[in-house]
Amino acid sequence: MKRVPRPVFFIVALLILFFTFTSIFGIKGKNGDNPVTYLKGVGDIRWGIDINGGVEATFTPATSQKATKQQMDSAESTIKQRLIGENITDYEVYTDYNHSRIIVRFPWKNDEKDFDPQKAISELSATAVVTFREGKEYTTQSTGADGNPVYKTPKGVTASSVILKGSDIVSATPQMTTNQTTGRAAYVVSLKLSDSGTKKFADATKRLKNQIISIWMDDVMISYPTVEEEITNGECQIDGGSQGFTAAEASSLANKINAGALPFKLTTTSYGVLSPVLGKSSLSAMKLAGIIAFCLVGLFMILFFRLPGVVAVISLLGQVGLSFAAVSGYFPFLNSFTLTLPGFAGIILSIGMGVDANIITATRIREELWTGKPLDSAISKGDQNSFSAIFDGNITVIIVAIILMLVFGPKNILSYWFGASTTGSIYSFGYTLLIGIIGNFLFGVLTTRLMTKSLSQFSFARSKWLYGGPSEKDKTALKGGAAV
Amino acid sequence: MKTYHIRFYENRWIYYCISLAVVLVGLICNVIFGTRLDIQFTGGAVLSYSYSGEIETQKVERAVESSLGRDASVSVNKNVRSAESGQVSNNVTISLAGTNSITPADQTAVLKALNKAYPNEKFESLKMDSVNPSMGQSFFLKCIVAVLIAFLLLNLYIAARFRKIGGMAAGFFAIFALLHDVAMVYFTFIIFRMPLDDNFIAVVLTILGYSLNDTIVIYDRIRENRRLMGPKTPYRVLVNTSINQTFTRSINTAICTFLAIATVFVVGSVYQLNSVVAFALPMMVGVVTGCYSTVCIAGPLYVTWENHKLKKKSLADAGQARLAAPAKAAAGPAPSSQEAGASAPARPAPKKSAPRKKGKKRKR
Repeated sequence: MKRVPRPVFFIVALLILFFTFTSIFGIKGKNGDNPVTYLKGVGDIRWGIDINGGVEATFTPATSQKATKQQMDSAESTIKQRLIGENITDYEVYTDYNHSRIIVRFPWKNDEKDFDPQKAISELSATAVVTFREGKEYTTQSTGADGNPVYKTPKGVTASSVILKGSDIVSATPQMTTNQTTGRAAYVVSLKLSDSGTKKFADATKRLKNQIISIWMDDVMISYPTVEEEITNGECQIDGGSQGFTAAEASSLANKINAGALPFKLTTTSYGVLSPVLGKSSLSAMKLAGIIAFCLVGLFMILFFRLPGVVAVISLLGQVGLSFAAVSGYFPFLNSFTLTLPGFAGIILSIGMGVDANIITATRIREELWTGKPLDSAISKGDQNSFSAIFDGNITVIIVAIILMLVFGPKNILSYWFGASTTGSIYSFGYTLLIGIIGNFLFGVLTTRLMTKSLSQFSFARSKWLYGGPSEKDKTALKGGAAV
Repeated sequence: MKTYHIRFYENRWIYYCISLAVVLVGLICNVIFGTRLDIQFTGGAVLSYSYSGEIETQKVERAVESSLGRDASVSVNKNVRSAESGQVSNNVTISLAGTNSITPADQTAVLKALNKAYPNEKFESLKMDSVNPSMGQSFFLKCIVAVLIAFLLLNLYIAARFRKIGGMAAGFFAIFALLHDVAMVYFTFIIFRMPLDDNFIAVVLTILGYSLNDTIVIYDRIRENRRLMGPKTPYRVLVNTSINQTFTRSINTAICTFLAIATVFVVGSVYQLNSVVAFALPMMVGVVTGCYSTVCIAGPLYVTWENHKLKKKSLADAGQARLAAPAKAAAGPAPSSQEAGASAPARPAPKKSAPRKKGKKRKR
């Protein structure tokens, strides 16, 4: 067998410990007064609404006709706009065009004690009021969930002088044009006004040339273009000013303006609300369960498998670390993933399932030792023989984990046919199960083998008994038996 | 090394009886209690509140009925301890009759009515779910389709995998074991009177993958041992030996998985976290049955089937084609014909002398 140098064990073990430690506690520093997160830990995990408390609601248009994609986009952008305006971070909004549904999930706000979810749901789905107003005078300014400033509540002349209402607007569409001076592509929003709107707008633009006309949704200002010329034909363009719009900004603004003229109301078809009290208790319970389960499994492995058991526990630590890292956004290439109660249970379950690879390998090594093979060849033979069994086991669980994600995930091929799920907490379970299997492969196979082989080079670790092989006493008994 | 010598094939009737007994109890419960689907699948509304002091369920029911004009059933969970703060509270769960969803305004009305009926009991909303019936139904359909797709994919995997290790018969019994597991998980929900919900789908799918893994490992060993122990070994011995050899691993993995999920179950029950218990309990059962079905059901059934095939074959062989047996034996790994040809000359496996010894040692 290929010898693995002795230091490898310590290098691998330390790397695993470092990885697990950082994936649980994260690495945080301070830049001046601002806390900076270099690596995300368990504390940065985005908990699902079943843990954090929160709201899950499905809205559908109250109309007999099928809503168009554009109308659904408008409705969606209205909801998003309101969530940002309410300073709700971490919301999830999915639009199902096929079944005309908008699914919204958002967690309880941390700072708000008497948050009324019923009111919040009603407000989210209320019909949008879009207005074009003179000037841009506002009462309050705050920072929204997306980091941009939010200007609220018109005052002064802006409050009193309403130029256009949502019903005056026939359509708003994002368009791409070429900037005449720079020759670069630029995005604009084209407005088309109704007859009454055309007249009102012509008067206003004549009066307010080179001044600002602000656009509001509900109580929030969404744009404040400057009038460049009098617009008499009811068609105009809003460009992004000196910085210009990105394609996304242009379509977002167009969607919001359209929302003022949506021909339907949104109704709440299904919804769920969870108080943070219940969720916090569940989370503490799951953390406790996770720690106990890890200790029990670790103890079992060490008592039953001795040295390979110790190695298994180190690998298992790495696997748990990977599970947390994969949901917290520890790796820059993996987005953070909302962790729900079943998701957490999935991590604990994969602690139990994850030692399977170690068990298969250790059992095989033990068998080879009892046939009388020397330690080194028993280890390499055990490794070889166990691989196909480990592979098989993982494949079948991978299949079911992916299907779980398909059933309960927000947007995928099954949702295309059947619509979104009425509950999403199992999605997270599918994910943690999948990550558990990948971790099982990575740690239960790769690092376990490296560590076992390297460890077996040490003189203190040469005893076959440590690997579950026959001790000296057993050996004499075995020989005696064979002689009979 | 401690090797198990459990005579799985000889004890098969005990295992069959255990399984049948569970199925029977499950069926009886099913007839008595019926199958309940969660509101996720049917549509409907369930509201939970925490409160302090004492309440009467009937008075709560009346309050809800007068505010919404819908019948309601009320259940009370007392002394629920929070795992976070250690605070104790009482919880009441109100299930509205029918499958219609409610609006946010309805929910506000219910809370108002409760506070009016019990001004000092400090009702606070804990959890509420309201599902539109048509959304619920399409979600149910989606889950069923998903389970079928999973089953189909696993069958394809079985077909691909078992071509090498045991043929279609082995594949069939692997699928039978899977169905056995699904039935056991289903009956767990029925016996403990839990409504079928997303947890059921999650557990069924997980157990399908978990149990099949076990089955494949055992059949893989059977194939390996057929080579090592020679074609003359009867199926009974072959399968028993293979199961016993993989038994250490099967039982250890099952113990570890069981330990992990049982911890979740115990902690969940201590703090009365219904959603956690509803997930962990059937998963626990699934882990046990996943291991059991493979070892105690699929293996022995496979032996019965192969023996049955042999009997038929030897009856047929007795009448005709004496030459056929030795010719087939020379062809190598067509095990059924070899054992059938009891008249054919005994052929020890040519190479592999060392492993053969191992096989013998185990038999002793």
